[in-house]
Amino acid sequence: MIGSELLLLAALATPVALLVACGSRWVRARMMALLGLAPLPALAAALLAVDGPPLVFAETRQHITFALDPAGAILLGVAALLWSAAGFYAWTYLRDEPHQGRFAVYWLLTLTGSLGVFITADLFTFYLAFALVSLAAYGLVIFDGTPRARRAGIIYLVLALLGEVALLMGFVLLAVAIPGDSLAIRDAVAALPDSPWRDPTVALLIVGFGLKMGLVPLHVWLPVAHPAAPMPASAVLSGAIIKAGVIGLIRFLPFETPLPDWGAILTVVGLFTAFYSVAIGITQSNPKTVLAYSSVSQMGFVAAVLGMGLAVGLSGTAMLVVVFYAAHHLLAKGALFLAVGVAAATGPRRLWWVLAPAAILALGVGGLPLTGGALAKLAVKPLLGEELVGLLATLSAIGTTLLMLHFLHRLAASASPEPAATASLGLTLPWLTMFGAALVIPWMLYEVTGIGAWSDALQPKLLWAGLWPVLIGAVLALGLWRWGRHLPQVPEGDIVVAGERAVGVLFTWGDVLERMEGKLRRWPVAALMLLVITFLIGGALVGGQ
Amino acid sequence: MIDGTTLFGLCAAALIGFGLFGLIVHPQPLRKILAFNLLGGGVFLLFGVIARRGAGAGLSSDPVPQALVITGLVVAFAATALAVALLLRLAQATGRITLDAAASDAAPTQTQDADS
Amino acid sequence: MMPEPSILLVLALVLPVAGLLLALVAGGRHAGRIALLLTPVGLAVAAAIAVGVVRADEALVYHLGGWAPPLGVALRADGLSAILLLTTAAIIGATGWFARAEFRPAPGQVEGRASLAFWTLLLALWGALNLVFLGNDLFTLFVALELLTFSAVPLVCLDGRAGTIEAALRYLLFALFGSVLYLLGVVLLYGAYGTLDIGLLSDLIQREPIALAAAALMTVGLLAKTALFPLHLWLPPAHAGAPAAASAVLSALVVKASLFLIVRLWFDVMPELMNPTAAQVLGALGAAAILFGGVLALRQARLKMLIAYSTVAQIGYLFLVFPLITRPESVPLAAADLGAELVAISVSTSAWSGGVLQAVSHAFAKAAMFLAAGLIAQRLGHDRIADLGGIGRALPITVLAFGLAGMSLMGLPPSGGFAAKWLLLMATIETGQWWWSLVILGGGLLTGGYLFRVLAPVLAGASEPVTLHAPVARYRELVVLALALCSVLLGFVRLGAFDLVQIGRLTTAGMGLP
Repeated sequence: MIGSELLLLAALATPVALLVACGSRWVRARMMALLGLAPLPALAAALLAVDGPPLVFAETRQHITFALDPAGAILLGVAALLWSAAGFYAWTYLRDEPHQGRFAVYWLLTLTGSLGVFITADLFTFYLAFALVSLAAYGLVIFDGTPRARRAGIIYLVLALLGEVALLMGFVLLAVAIPGDSLAIRDAVAALPDSPWRDPTVALLIVGFGLKMGLVPLHVWLPVAHPAAPMPASAVLSGAIIKAGVIGLIRFLPFETPLPDWGAILTVVGLFTAFYSVAIGITQSNPKTVLAYSSVSQMGFVAAVLGMGLAVGLSGTAMLVVVFYAAHHLLAKGALFLAVGVAAATGPRRLWWVLAPAAILALGVGGLPLTGGALAKLAVKPLLGEELVGLLATLSAIGTTLLMLHFLHRLAASASPEPAATASLGLTLPWLTMFGAALVIPWMLYEVTGIGAWSDALQPKLLWAGLWPVLIGAVLALGLWRWGRHLPQVPEGDIVVAGERAVGVLFTWGDVLERMEGKLRRWPVAALMLLVITFLIGGALVGGQ
Repeated sequence: MIDGTTLFGLCAAALIGFGLFGLIVHPQPLRKILAFNLLGGGVFLLFGVIARRGAGAGLSSDPVPQALVITGLVVAFAATALAVALLLRLAQATGRITLDAAASDAAPTQTQDADS
Repeated sequence: MMPEPSILLVLALVLPVAGLLLALVAGGRHAGRIALLLTPVGLAVAAAIAVGVVRADEALVYHLGGWAPPLGVALRADGLSAILLLTTAAIIGATGWFARAEFRPAPGQVEGRASLAFWTLLLALWGALNLVFLGNDLFTLFVALELLTFSAVPLVCLDGRAGTIEAALRYLLFALFGSVLYLLGVVLLYGAYGTLDIGLLSDLIQREPIALAAAALMTVGLLAKTALFPLHLWLPPAHAGAPAAASAVLSALVVKASLFLIVRLWFDVMPELMNPTAAQVLGALGAAAILFGGVLALRQARLKMLIAYSTVAQIGYLFLVFPLITRPESVPLAAADLGAELVAISVSTSAWSGGVLQAVSHAFAKAAMFLAAGLIAQRLGHDRIADLGGIGRALPITVLAFGLAGMSLMGLPPSGGFAAKWLLLMATIETGQWWWSLVILGGGLLTGGYLFRVLAPVLAGASEPVTLHAPVARYRELVVLALALCSVLLGFVRLGAFDLVQIGRLTTAGMGLP
């Protein structure tokens, strides 16, 4: 089918074309209206171009390859949906913003990268897309221009660059191990288990992608950066962009060959992340920060599932289960962030119309039966097993419920002070669309992808298994409301504060280097160095062999 | 016994040594320029010694180094002229003839504002 | 019908020199026009040389006056020379267009002294660079290098301010120190072997004290001119103080010329003499340059000083090529002899291509940056980094160009800098010297840091409205953008095209093998 290649091309070419059009000031000023449309070709590609022939711009050595496998298609589709809804939302949300043009440029850049990571099939293009989504999102984080946003931006950028560096080295190690000139991800992963640099490669990949997913202790940027961005940007950051890390782990770790040690490490880190961020999250008062910690927790859970898979080896279809879980989180978390903005514009009188759907989604993340979240938890269950990890997973569901109920509590408290205020249609429509999508799409995907049948998912035994953790979580939440004020106040990003102090130490080292350089730049010193280096090189030449 | 070649070679080495010392130690640019000339003189003398030895083709005297030395002298002369011209301009502009490390680092940046 | 391609080598030298003489005769009013007319021709000649090298698949050689060495003097262009000739012609041309507005005599004036000086010096610089890239005997190269210094130094102090004169003097004196050491090495080599032609010398040279001493002296002399840390004392004030157009060519091209000679020396003249330890020393100096240059750039208050220190750091990357192209003793060779040879070839290609790509993409990026800084300083009347807010609105194209050039310096994909760092990192793994990859990656982070310091206030917008000075012509902004785009698009050059850099190496494989 020739159409599928064209669709793949259009998926990326559309945002790029809009970006180019932003060169004109007139277009840039009106670009906000088009943001919601930019991801639609990608959505079409996700629906129609699955498993089509890859789109290859092949030169003899440097392949530029795009391909859409089912895993990529699922994430691409839901991500495009969220980007579209958030784009329309942004149009209204930033109506009075003077710097709309700048927002649109950063948005489109980030969008291109975010969609790109799902459909690129070679190391070079994947790295390009990943770097684009990581670095362009900086513009979204600092967009508000407040000191808080700037601090968040710096923390975000420092960690994003560290992640880039880890990935670059990891990719180089992958590329060196590939026999021949190929740069295809498939070849790289196939060569990885036998590579002499296997362990450093896997470590670097986990650091690079784990940083994007927010695995503890690399999560510090996430609860600082996500809440600092404007509402629609927070939604895509926490919903779609974070999934670049998930798709990275899925694509690059060699799941077909079990690596028990690395699987165990990933599982432990993931589970620790899942619990740690619940514990920190319930001390937070900003609903967006609570949601950000919930994202960290959920991504920790995904990492744990992937770790279990890596330990025993996973086939391509089993991998879809993880993708399915991530897709549900993408939809639900995106919708919840949009809900924060809607709630902030809604007065107490009509607040129930926001809180009720938000509650369904929030509890769904905790695994409330009949929601997409319950399906997602059901789907990954076989991977976790019945033993300790399975038990911990159930505990994590309890924790998640607790955290999400805390979020609802904070959401209700953040409503507009005007009793009769209502959010405008431009905000409510995208939010309701995402709400509907988060409810319906998991059910559709559940059957379409062949993970399971509806009838299986509706067995009473399974419904009860999903319900009781939620009930326990609710009881705990009541306790939290009653005694929560005794909890310590933890700053956003918790241990990042310590990191910032460490940076101060680095600055004193900078002083030392600067003074040294000042001395070296004096004429007699430099001239003497000239002779010293002559003898150094001469000595090396004589004595080197 | 010291023959002429060795004597000149030692002289060249001494010149090079003096030149290096002057270039490294003396703070005034004019002395540095002189030291450079001393150093250059040593190198050219060395070249002359080599010509005398006729290392190239076993001749009694190799003409190539002499041609090269003449070119080198021209280059060194041009360099000296340029350096002295710069030094004169510097003296005209500031009234001092030293290269002060601290002052020279700050100077190019300070003057950025002056021309606006 | 194309003439004998090697005659093009002479043309590449004659063109700038003829332009220089013509400009001197015609005077300042026409000097600029002559230079601008010549640059496209020069670019075409350089392109023709590159095509000729690719077609012939070997180095082009021209014997002046038909006399072959050792009696005559030869010109030689291999793949590396061809690429550098092209880069030089492109950057000189772009800088010339950029400088047209700056160095044009005022309408009433008959001729401006600064204007005549600038154009003639630019042409002289171009001619000297071409001679460095084409010369094939060590003394010609010495003369070329001196000509280069003599045309570069006055460019630094074109505006005649005390600070820049001082910087120029410091530059000149240190460069002379370097040239004497180089000349001393040349003399020793001549004394030992009786020839200075690179081809002949490489056959005669042996591992003996006099050759090793000459190698050390020449290398260090050239290092002083390249401003490799810790011999960089002259570079920051000179490059930061010069007019923007001059800074661009100085930072992009002039420092690379002496580096090119070090490469010639090590890989063409005396490949057998070199050993991994000496290469590691050069690499260590490069690493120190990356660290110190990056940290110092982070701490500068002025944009041009920051860019100058960035040059110090980026030069460091080029010296990492030396250890990466050789093989440290600790790594055992592959078992079979045949296998060992194959490994050695692949080792040198990654590092070699990476190094060349780094040199070329840095040249374009740095030229774009200095020119952008010039425009920003002109528009704002200052170049204090802290007060750059709001310039993004006033000069969007310039800021975009600065950002793109920064992308390449940092090594973000898909820029030329990225491709270069990718290749260098590959080489670190292939040769089993992973420690250099830490330096490359750490340097990238430092680069990101100092560019962020510039770009963050620029992009954030100003809190109060900025006062703007002289407006900037649109075409000058476009010139800067074109240079920055070149640096980014180099990343898309199919790596295969960079096979050009391997053509005509006197030694391809045996390097570094015991």
